[in-house]
Parts: sequence; C-alpha cells; structure tokens
Amino acid sequence: MTALLELRDVVKHFPVRDALGRRAGAVHAVDGVSLAVAEGEVLAIVGESGCGKSTLGRVMLRLIEPDSGSVRFAGEDLASLSPAALRARRRDMQIIFQDPFGSLDPRMTVAQAIAEPLRLHRVVPRAEEAARVAELLRRVGLRPENAGRWPHEFSGGQRQRIAIARALASNPRLIIGDEPVSALDVSVQAQVINLLRDLIRDLRLTFVLVSHDLGVVRHVADRVAVMYLGRLVEEGPAEHVLGAPRHPYTRALVAAMPGAQTKTPPLEGDVPSPIAPPSGCRFHTRCAYATEQCRAETPRLEGAAHAVACHFAASLPAPVERSAALGGGERLARLQGFFRGNAPSPIGMGDYA
Amino acid sequence: MNAPAITMGESPARRALKRFFRHKLAVFGLVVVVAFVLIALLAPFIAPYDPLQTSWTRIRKPPSAEHWFGTDENGRDVLSRVIWGARASLMAGVISVLGALFIGVPLGLLAGLIGGWVDGLISRVADAMLSVPFLILAIALAAFLGPALENAMLAIAITASPVFVRLARGMALDAKSTDWVEAARALGNPPWRIGLFHVLPNIIPPLLVQASLAIAEAIIAEASLSFLGLGQQPPAPSWGSMLNSAQRFLTQAPWLSIMPGLAIFVVVLAFNLVGDGLRDALDPRADRK
Repeated sequence: MTALLELRDVVKHFPVRDALGRRAGAVHAVDGVSLAVAEGEVLAIVGESGCGKSTLGRVMLRLIEPDSGSVRFAGEDLASLSPAALRARRRDMQIIFQDPFGSLDPRMTVAQAIAEPLRLHRVVPRAEEAARVAELLRRVGLRPENAGRWPHEFSGGQRQRIAIARALASNPRLIIGDEPVSALDVSVQAQVINLLRDLIRDLRLTFVLVSHDLGVVRHVADRVAVMYLGRLVEEGPAEHVLGAPRHPYTRALVAAMPGAQTKTPPLEGDVPSPIAPPSGCRFHTRCAYATEQCRAETPRLEGAAHAVACHFAASLPAPVERSAALGGGERLARLQGFFRGNAPSPIGMGDYA
Repeated sequence: MNAPAITMGESPARRALKRFFRHKLAVFGLVVVVAFVLIALLAPFIAPYDPLQTSWTRIRKPPSAEHWFGTDENGRDVLSRVIWGARASLMAGVISVLGALFIGVPLGLLAGLIGGWVDGLISRVADAMLSVPFLILAIALAAFLGPALENAMLAIAITASPVFVRLARGMALDAKSTDWVEAARALGNPPWRIGLFHVLPNIIPPLLVQASLAIAEAIIAEASLSFLGLGQQPPAPSWGSMLNSAQRFLTQAPWLSIMPGLAIFVVVLAFNLVGDGLRDALDPRADRK
C-alpha cells in the first residue's frame, strides 16, 4: 500500500487578537500532526468538538494553509503548487461539508451544482453533461428528474446526497467527509452513512471521515486516529483502537459509546482552552492516571501498527468489563427478546404473568 | 444513457416575485412606476401641446379644459412640460443608479473578496465620500463638470456609488465565510469565478432593493440640481427646472409649482413603495412565513 495522502508535522495556529488588534495569543488548532492515508483506505479522525479535526481536514486539501509541516498528495507537496496547479489538482480531492443547508449555493439548480466540477475540470464533453448528472443523481439515490430543482426544495438528507454527488462528479481519488451526517436527523443519518459506505466500496474511494460519532466511525472506518487538543493521541486499525483502546482518552470515548462493553471513569471537566493548552501531555488535566511526568513531558506517538501517545500505555490497568451492570448491547438484546415474546421481561415483570 | 425529462423547480427569484405580488402597496407602486415610464416613452404622442411652444396670449392661465395643468410664464402648456419632464427625471433616476451600480458593485466585490490593502483603499475612499452630504457632493461635482443633464447624471452616479460599494463589500464578506463559497473553492473555482458566478448572484437581491430606493433619491437629486440650474438646461423641461422658474410666481400662479412638485412626489413615493416591497419579498427571513 502506498500513501495517497501524507501529512508531516502539520501545525496550524489561528491568531487571537485583542480589542486593539494586537496579537494576544493563538488557538492551537493543529499542533504537529503526522498521518498517512493509504490508497483505498477509510481513515476516521475522531475527537471532541474543538479538537482541531475539522481544521486538519481542511489543511489536507490546502483549503487552509498550514503554518508549518508538509501535506503531500500522491507524492506531490501541495504547498509547492501554484494556485492554478492546485485548482487543477482539486479534481482529485473533494470534500463533503457538515451542513447541507450551507454547502450548496442557493442560486444554483442541482444540475448546475453537480455540473460545475464537470465543467471546471472538463471531465465530460458538454453534450454528455446532462447524462452524467443524471447518472450521479441515481448513484446517490435521487431521481434524475430533480436536476432542475433548487436546493431550498430539498430536505437535509437529500441536500447531503446532492453534495455527495457533487463531490463524486470529477471522479476524485480522495474525499474528505467533514462530519457528513452529524447535521442530519438520526433517521436519515443511517441512510446517508450506508450510501457513503457503498460508494466507498464500489468506487474504491480513499476517504477521510472527520467525526465525533464513534458509532458512525465503527461502521465505515478501516483506521482510526484520535485527536485531542490539536494532537494525535492514538492511531491504528479501527478494530484495535475501538476494540482495545490503549490511551486513557480513547478508553473514555469508547466507554461512552452506547452499548459499550467496558467501564471507565467518565471524563470530568471540559476540554481545556486551545489558546493555552496544558503542558506535557495535553490530556493530563482530565486523566485519572496522570503523574508528574505527564505534566512535564510530552509523550510521543509510538508504536508501529497501533500507535499511542501515553507515557503509561504499557502499564495502564486493563479496562473493566461491564459485567455487574448490564452492558448496553446486552440490555438491547434482552429487550428485543422480550418484544418477540420469547424471553423473560428485562425488568422482571415476567414473574407475574 | 439518455437523460430523463427534467422537472424545473421554483427558482428563488420566482419565489420572491410571487411574494412581491402579494404585497398590495408595492404592486400599486409598480403600477405607478410603469405608468410614468410609459408616459416618458410615449411623450411625443400623448403630450397635448409642444412643450417648447410659447404664446404671449396665454401667459400664466390657471388650469382649464383646454390646458389641464394651466400655462406657464411663457405661455407653454404645463401638462405637456410635466409629461416631457418625466423623461429627464426617470432617465436621470435610472441611468445614474445604473452608473452607480456599475461603479460601486465591482469595487465593493473586490474590496470584500480580496481584503487587505485593496479593501482598505476602496473602503476609505468610499467612507470619505459618504462623509460629505449627498447633495453637496453632487452639486460640487455637477458644477465642476458643467451644467448639463448628462453631467448631472454622472455626478449623481458617482455620488451614489459609495452606498453600493459598502453594501456589496458587506455582502461579499458575509458570503466569503459561507460553506458554499468554501465548497466552490474546494471544487477548483478560480477566485474570479467565485466572485462572478457564486457571490454576485447571491448579493443581487439586496442590491436590487437598494437600487430601487436609490432611484427615488436620484430623481430628487436631479430635480434639485435642475432647480439650481445645474441639470436640465432651459428651455428643455425638467421637473426641477420647472420648479425653479415657478418660485417667482408661487402666489400668483401656484399651479406652476404644484404640478411638477406633485409629479416628483408621486414618482418618488412609487419607487419607495417598490423598494419596500422588494425588500419584504427578497428578505430570506420572510421564507418562514
């Protein structure tokens, strides 16, 4: 496997100015992230809101210029490209935004929106444009007859499908999905995630999914990178990171998922300000296992396949199995059994029947 | 693969138009505006007399069956002059606002989209112009250019443009922070295409509202300049210059000032009604109603 996208030591700070316009500090959105995404792989970047994952997604496409570090796409340093060459490169790398109500130009019909990348990159001759738009609409599960409608005539889920069709139009090699379903109704989320999963599989897309929803991530990701306050804390194959998390932060995230099998003390307090991130390990202010070393020394992301940035990754106590109380998954199974009528009541009512 | 029959949706413009036509006062304003435009265009056919034809036998006659609006100090028919004067007023209003849009909108877009020193330069010049009262600046420019209707229109166009610079700049700044502009960038649009094909179409509604209100102001400005002798030159009729010559006969022949004054009042009111209606129809917040 070769890396299609490679980030090295990417840093992006946003200056914060006081009332007089003087530089008063900086939001450390991304602080030294190195990552590689292999061709055909689905990488999920997870973390709480404000951890810098969306900024990282935009830096990957050079929609935001990094302060330092390099982003290589298909072996080419994006920073070295001229504006025109970068625009031409955008044919191969696309993005799906979070808010389907904001990402479509309100004064363009569906056909115009989807045809725009086709024209910009001369993907198909004008004569075949309408047919290609129709094919793309079918591909994302919309009726091609709707090509002449305007965005305001669609629901959130339908709009997101239009945005997906637009992102697919130029046959990109890489697509970044920035929280592509989190703005949608829960009932629609599953449909759109299944659509994305099918597209990734059928079109052999390389996909970077930026999300805070581990349920969604578990559904599609091959690999998971966990971000906390601008830094990666854990990274590896999805089944390892989500199944046997090694970093205390990842453990807390995984344990907070519905249906989790393990128990961890829940995270306390808020995420510290990214303007003045904690010294050493950035997680130490909320970590149950933090020591003096954590406050002073920054842990490096270490490990070949499953990397973790924690001084005590090797010596942390094993996660506690959720056996005393019923795990969410088990409770759900018992409820389902009850409603099928072949199991005792989950709350003990069966005794009275 | 053959393309299927496509259903056309309802465009945002069509939707706004529908809302506009539900607004009774605005439609009334539009009817009045259209009526005045027709009067101006058809002046040679509907004016009962030659507006320049003087007559020593009919000086300052009050309104009568023969001369509905009376006659002026040179015996010319006031109704005919008001009808021909509509040409000067509407032309001055529409053309000078078109000029102001043509100057102001590109500069505003550049300032908003490019930012930096370009924005600083354009915005400071616009602010400086806005700090001088509208009419004073228009008078100064018209006096500098020389008294003629064309120069008055140019002066009004330049004076009215900073409003459009500010509006276009503000709307462009808003648009720049939206996801759809970032999406346009991510698709590979060059900056000029984003400005022209994405931002511009989206800022047209507020520009349209501002333009219709600006036409009303420009008509008043033209009348004021003509009143001061800086616009339409005698003997050609304009509502402003008619008021100017009428002021000497305010008590003896009040119809000389009432008729052109009423014309200005009605047209300006009509444009304002249209502007208000457009604002209500194009306001995105009105979608919820």
